[in-house]
Amino acid sequence: MSRVLVPCHVKGSVALQVGDVRTSQGRPGVLVIDVTFPSVAPFELQEITFKNYYTAFLSIRVRQYTSAHTPAKWVTCLRDYCLMPDPHSEEGAQEYVSLFKYQSPSVTFPKWLSHPVPCEQPALLREGLPDPSRVSSEVQQMWALTEMIRASHTSARIGRFDVSNRFLLLGLLCPEQIRPDGLLYFRWMAVMT
Amino acid sequence: MAAVEKRRQAVPPPAGFTDSGRQSVSRAAGAAESEEDFLRQVGVTEMLRAALLKVLEARPEEPIAFLAHYFENMGLRSPVNGGAGEPPGQLLLQQQRLGRALWHLRLAHHSQRAAFNNNVSVAYECLSAGGRRKRPGLDGRTYSELLRRICRDGQAPEEVVAPLLRKVQCRDHEAVPLSVFRAGTLTCFVLLEFVARAGALFQLLEDPAAAVADRRVGQAVLDTLEGALQASDAAAPARFLEAGSRLGPDSLALALDRAVGGRRPSAPMTREEFLERAAALFIAKVKPVG
Repeated sequence: MSRVLVPCHVKGSVALQVGDVRTSQGRPGVLVIDVTFPSVAPFELQEITFKNYYTAFLSIRVRQYTSAHTPAKWVTCLRDYCLMPDPHSEEGAQEYVSLFKYQSPSVTFPKWLSHPVPCEQPALLREGLPDPSRVSSEVQQMWALTEMIRASHTSARIGRFDVSNRFLLLGLLCPEQIRPDGLLYFRWMAVMT
Repeated sequence: MAAVEKRRQAVPPPAGFTDSGRQSVSRAAGAAESEEDFLRQVGVTEMLRAALLKVLEARPEEPIAFLAHYFENMGLRSPVNGGAGEPPGQLLLQQQRLGRALWHLRLAHHSQRAAFNNNVSVAYECLSAGGRRKRPGLDGRTYSELLRRICRDGQAPEEVVAPLLRKVQCRDHEAVPLSVFRAGTLTCFVLLEFVARAGALFQLLEDPAAAVADRRVGQAVLDTLEGALQASDAAAPARFLEAGSRLGPDSLALALDRAVGGRRPSAPMTREEFLERAAALFIAKVKPVG
């Protein structure tokens, strides 16, 4: 499949700033660049290429026109993508960057965190499925109880002499102090949303 | 066998007073003193104080019933009035000790950790106390029996708790230290709560008419929980955040949707099977004793 450049119109950057742009002193930290696609034919965006100039983090939001009836909605495709590991250093400051549609996440991000917000809205719940917030509440409590038990193990030995166990030859009955429970018992009622 | 009531003589008014007025005053004062003394001497003051402290610690929903049980247990502790019958046999004493220990353990919910630990210590002492024909210390058989009773009284199904008991019970002849006792009892109570939550969860999932759940739905929920419990290498806070993101309503809704959409309906899941499988996830994280 060949790649074709899509004609686009890049508007000048607009600073996002609280207060009056003209009178306030400091330079803004957030700039917004609008990119429009004048051609009417629908296309599938595969790659965005640009040269960075001292931008540390990049977010990309896309407004899709899906059909005539549904109003167009803004969807975030990329959020706070890091272009410069240290904003005060030169690394990444003037690099050429290519963003692909199926960008593999950077190694440092844990897998679950690097999921960009899905471009489609969550589908309407099917008929007959249970209420997810109530299910979530119960499951979270069950998870918390299990984590608590996992954390509160005792290191005291019972002093068993097991012939079968080759490694545990001598189990002295030492009344070690139980480790104080660092993990508080907490009830999470739909905190994670 | 009628309980013998001991009746004490009221303190006689001091003799030798000629003034009648003063006599009546001093008699009243003497009577008041004697009442306070009397209460203190029989130990009622101390006993009531201890009872009130227990109520404050446990904060029961029905304080009167709580106090009634408390005094009933107190009666068990005092020696049977001699002369009317034989002292209770070893087995009865054992049952009494178990009953008392269980009562202590149920006074505070396991989440009230300080109160719960206090009660665990008291229960342990109660079971370890030496008797006429008993050596001090808690043996494995009594301990195992106690754990069985906790689970049974908590109305958890036998098959559900059996794997846990296998993990935490001790052998009959082993001496059980306090730390093992505390860990084991705590684990049982937490499992009971876990099973209760799993039951409530099943009620959300089940079809009320059929009292069974769609297997795809039940499986999806159990799989999500299992996934969240997988020990990731991340440190504690990150692990909790990750679990939270998996167990949030949006992500669960997606999982349920995917489960039902993808597959054809298969044999339904019963409540028993759901509880057993859920409990297995919990029990897998319990460290066996040894």
